[in-house]
Amino acid sequence: MGESQYSFSLTTFSPSGKLVQIEYALNAVSAGATSLGIKATNGVVIATEKKLRTTLVDETTVQKISLLTPNVGVAYSGMGPDSRVLVRKARKSAQAYYRLYKESIPVAQLVRETAAVMQEFTQSGGVRPFGVSLLMAGYDENGPQLYQIDPSGSYFAWKASAIGKNMTNAKTFLEKRYSDDMELEDAIHTALLTLKEGFEGQISGENIEVAVVGEDGKFRVLTPAEVSDYLEEVE
Amino acid sequence: MVGLGLDLSVLENPSKSAATDAQLDGLSVGVDLGMQSFPLPQVHDLDSFEREVMEYVKPSHGTTTLGFIFQGGVIMAVDSRASMGSYISSQTVKKVIEINPFLLGTMAGGAADCQFWLRNLGTQCRLYELNTGKRITVRAASKLLANTMYSYKGMGLSMGTMVAGWDATGPGLYYVDSDGQRTKGQVFSVGSGSLYAYGVLDQGYKWDLDVETAVELGRRAIYHATFRDAVSGGTVSVYHVTEKGWTKISGTDVGELHYEYYDNPEKHPCNGTQPI
Amino acid sequence: MSIFEYNGSAIIGMAGKECVAIGSDLRFGVQFQTLATDYQKIYRIHDKLYLGLAGLGTDAQTLAARFKFKHNMYKLREERDIRPSTFGQLVSSTLYEKRFGPYFCSPVVAGLDKDNVPYLCGMDTIGAIETAKDFMVAGTAPDSLYGMCESMFRPDLEPEELFEVLSQCLLAGTDRDALSGWGAIVHVITKDKTNSRTLKGRMD
Repeated sequence: MGESQYSFSLTTFSPSGKLVQIEYALNAVSAGATSLGIKATNGVVIATEKKLRTTLVDETTVQKISLLTPNVGVAYSGMGPDSRVLVRKARKSAQAYYRLYKESIPVAQLVRETAAVMQEFTQSGGVRPFGVSLLMAGYDENGPQLYQIDPSGSYFAWKASAIGKNMTNAKTFLEKRYSDDMELEDAIHTALLTLKEGFEGQISGENIEVAVVGEDGKFRVLTPAEVSDYLEEVE
Repeated sequence: MVGLGLDLSVLENPSKSAATDAQLDGLSVGVDLGMQSFPLPQVHDLDSFEREVMEYVKPSHGTTTLGFIFQGGVIMAVDSRASMGSYISSQTVKKVIEINPFLLGTMAGGAADCQFWLRNLGTQCRLYELNTGKRITVRAASKLLANTMYSYKGMGLSMGTMVAGWDATGPGLYYVDSDGQRTKGQVFSVGSGSLYAYGVLDQGYKWDLDVETAVELGRRAIYHATFRDAVSGGTVSVYHVTEKGWTKISGTDVGELHYEYYDNPEKHPCNGTQPI
Repeated sequence: MSIFEYNGSAIIGMAGKECVAIGSDLRFGVQFQTLATDYQKIYRIHDKLYLGLAGLGTDAQTLAARFKFKHNMYKLREERDIRPSTFGQLVSSTLYEKRFGPYFCSPVVAGLDKDNVPYLCGMDTIGAIETAKDFMVAGTAPDSLYGMCESMFRPDLEPEELFEVLSQCLLAGTDRDALSGWGAIVHVITKDKTNSRTLKGRMD
C-alpha cells in the first residue's frame, strides 16, 4: 500500500460515471488466454489455453489451473502474476474458514471472499484492480458449481462461461452446445471442442489445461496424457 | 468405661495428678475439664497442623437454627442439611440435640463438636442432679458448656449452639459458641442461613404469639432460610418447650413445604426475569 | 471457592432416537445466596440447535450474545442455519481465542444434524471438544450428574422417555449439590418441533 497520507485510490470515477481502470482491467482480461468452464449434472469442467510465447519455455512447469481446497479449483484469464496473488488469498481464506469451523468452505463462500478481495482493490489507495477474471469450479453440498469473478469484484454463477481473448465466440459456441442434462464426460468433450474452435495452431495435451471436479468432490487437473486421450475422442 | 471399650477417661481425669480425682466433688464437675485432657498430636507446629486438620473435620457448616422465647414457652426450629463445601452430604441430620427432657441444644458448626459436647453437657447436668437433687437451671447448664468451650479456646473447636429449656425460673434461652461467648436472649438464630431466618423471625415475632402461630413462625423462618441459603435445607423440625419439658411438634420436608407455601411456581416472587 | 462455582449451574445433554434433549437447573445465586429461580442457562441458536453454558453467569451471557451474533452473521453470509457439528467447532475456536484469559464457562452443544442424527458435545473452558453419543454434563456437580446419567441412560430413547430420563437425572443429580437446582427446564428437540417444559424440583 502507498504512503498513508498520499495514498488515494487510483480507481476513480470518470465524469460519465465509469471506472475506467476497471474497464482497462477487463481489456487486460480480454487480451489473455481463453478459459472456459461448463457445469454438468454430476460435475464441473474448466479448461484454459496454455500457449507460450516461445517454444523454449518448459511448458511442463506452467500451471494455469490451481487447486484452492480439495473440492474447489480456479482458472484465470489475464495477468498470471495477478492471479497468483488471488490464489494465495483464496487459499488462505479457505484455510481460515476450515480453522474456524473444521468444515471445508462452501464454493459460494470462497467465491464471495475472493470477489471481496477483488472489489477491495478497486477502492483502496495505492493499488490497482486485478487484471484477471476467474472461473472458479467446485462441488459441495449444493452440488456442482461454476462461478466467474471479474476485476470489479462482481461474480455470477454460470452453467457455462468463457473468458479471455476468444470469449465471445466461445460463449456463442457454448450456448449452442450446452444442455441441462449434460454429464461430466460430455461436458469435457464440449469444453475441448469449444477451446479447439478458437485455437490458433495445433491443440494438444501440452498446450491446454483441463480440470474436473465430480461427485467425489475431488478437484483434479488432468495430466497431458489424459487430455490427449480426450482430444482423440473429440476428433 | 472399660466395658464400653470407649476410653473417655480424659473427661474424668482432668488434672495431672490422679490422686486428686478421688476428692472431686460434684460441684466441680465440668470446671476442670482442662485442655490437657485430650492427647495432643506430636507435631512441631500445632497451630498450623490444627488449621489443616480443620479442613477435614468441619462438615456441616451450612445450617440454619433458631430459637425464641414467647408467652407460651420456647420454640426451637432447625433445618437438617449437612454439607462439605457445595456437596450435600446429608439431608437428614438431627440438629436439635435432646440433652434431657427439659433441655435442648441446637447444632451449628462442626457436627462432631456439637454432638460430643452437648452429650458431655448432658452427663454433667445429670451428675449435677444426682449431686444436688435438683434439676439444673438453663443458666447453669449453658454456663457449664461455655466454660468447657472457653477451656478449649484456640484449639479449633467449631460450634454455635443454643441451649434452651425450662427450669424453676421459667423458660430459658442462651447462645453459646466455641469462642466461649455466652449470651442470654429472647430471640436467636445461628448458622449460615441465620440472617434469612432473622428476617422472617423479627418481622413476625411478638411476645403474645399463641403456640400455633409461634410454631408456624419458626417453621416459616427456617423454610425461608433453606430457600435462600444454598447450604441449608432438607427438613424443618420444630420443637416446643413448656414447663412439662420439650415436645417435637413437626418435621416437614422442604421439598413439600415449598409447594404448600407457593403452589404456583410462576407466581413465586423469585420468578419473573426475562430469559435472553 | 472456584470462580466456576460462583453462580452455580447444572446442565445435561442427552441423545435419543432421532431426537436430542438438553436441560438445566434454574438457580441463579451468588455463592451460597440464591437470588433467582428462573434463570435459564440454555440458549436457542436455531430450531434444531441449543447451547447450554454452565459456569460464571456473566461470561455465559456474554458468550451467548457473541454466539447469537456469530450465528446471525453466518446466516446472512451463507443463507442457511449452522449445522450443530460446525457450531461445536465454532464454539471451540471462539473459546480458544481466549486461551490465556478464558471465559469461565463450560458449554454443552445439543442439536439435530442432517437426517435428524443427534449431535452432542461438551467442552472445557478453552475449547477442548469432547463429542458424545450418549450424554454430556456440565456445571457445579458434574460427578453427581454423571453418576445419574451413567445409571439411567439407555440408547435410542423416544422423545418422551428421553425427557423422563433426563429430568430424573437432572433433579436427582442437583439434589446433592448445594449450588444448583431450584427447579429445572428441559428442551426436547425432535425433527418437527422442540418441546420445552419446566420441572418442579426441591426449592432448598
